[in-house]
Amino acid sequence: MAATAFARPATVAEALAALAGGGGRWTPVAGGTDLLVRVRDGARPGGLLDLTGIEALRGIREEAGALRIGALATHAEVAAHEVVRKHAAALAEAATVVGSPAIRNRGTIGGNLANASPAADLVPPLVALGAVVEIAGPDGCREVAAEALATGPGRTVLVPGELIAAARVPLPGPGRTSAFRRLGARRALAIAKVSVAVAATVWRDGALSGVRVALGAVAPTVIRAAAAEAALEGRVPSPDVLAEAEAAVRTDARPITDIRSNETWRREMCAVLLRRAVSALAGAHARSGD
Amino acid sequence: MKVTVNGREVETAPDPCRRLLDFLREDQGLAGTKEGCGKGECGACAVLLDGRLVNSCLVLLGQCEGASVETIEGVAGTALHPVQEAMLQLGAVQCGFCTPGLVMASVALLRENPSPTPAEVRRGIEGNLCRCTGYVKVEAAVLDAARRMREA
Repeated sequence: MAATAFARPATVAEALAALAGGGGRWTPVAGGTDLLVRVRDGARPGGLLDLTGIEALRGIREEAGALRIGALATHAEVAAHEVVRKHAAALAEAATVVGSPAIRNRGTIGGNLANASPAADLVPPLVALGAVVEIAGPDGCREVAAEALATGPGRTVLVPGELIAAARVPLPGPGRTSAFRRLGARRALAIAKVSVAVAATVWRDGALSGVRVALGAVAPTVIRAAAAEAALEGRVPSPDVLAEAEAAVRTDARPITDIRSNETWRREMCAVLLRRAVSALAGAHARSGD
Repeated sequence: MKVTVNGREVETAPDPCRRLLDFLREDQGLAGTKEGCGKGECGACAVLLDGRLVNSCLVLLGQCEGASVETIEGVAGTALHPVQEAMLQLGAVQCGFCTPGLVMASVALLRENPSPTPAEVRRGIEGNLCRCTGYVKVEAAVLDAARRMREA
């Protein structure tokens, strides 16, 4: 790719200044695992603003009751992080199965959010876990709920001049657990055909509360499954309750037929993956012993 | 800018938007790294960047300032790497196009996990497509190399 401008700011302030003065020419790039594929397919960004030199966007740490995951945290870093694995199991699972080892070593959580693919693997867990996205802009920092970030395929609420700085995942209370399940054409590298993330508090009697269900690849953005959440809320996921939740999630999903799959199958797989994810919640709860 | 390639520091004033893959193959003459898909799907272009497995078709040279790159040409010392040795002996190489990438993925795996299970080997090489071998002998070779390296 010849004659494209390239800049590698060292700080968020430098990056924001470049974006502010660039007249829309700069496209931010980090791991490049999505953007450079689009370039290969013919996209010609006016300039690439490489964020990988910005130390402040790196790292995962606990901060004020939340896990702050810097936008440059790679999938591999998210997958390996002890606190993520313990307190955000759905996110750790998604970061473990996305792409391949080489993709997980480059692709970032910020990029996964910014690309706003309806099939993005890390997004359903972030939505189910109630994560907040920190956006840095010329007027300072603002926050948007993970579920409100994307407005359509490839589109977000970010305005020109803004950058995703971090995702903040609230640290869960006792008994709270989460799970993620996905289906693709094969385990590695295939884009998800359907994915489901569930987070809930599992009570001593097995009842679920604060249930949050997020669906990937079955709508123009990752969506909450409101009917499925209502079907599970306050109840023990017995076979009858699960059957109700499965019927509900089939109506929550708004899939299309495309090259990867068809509408009917996607709707049905939402039900299958919901059942598997809810069963995983109960299992995780039994193992944790609280 | 400076990049270290196989332990040798290279100073260059390149196009920062050049792919690491093209820099290695065309500028450095290191044609062992292959281009298959150019989209991160096949792993033929895999190299180690600061010790981590990456697809060099999805890395821009400008992102490699001060970094250390290890290619298939840097893997063998005076003798072949145990992974290469095992692949030869167990018939894990057929047409050979995917082999450099598979070797790099296997080397990366064994550095992190010297005693992988068969399932961990399959996960370690899941980003590398091979149209010839069916992967069975590749998996056997990586497990064999792991055993040799532990016993060495």
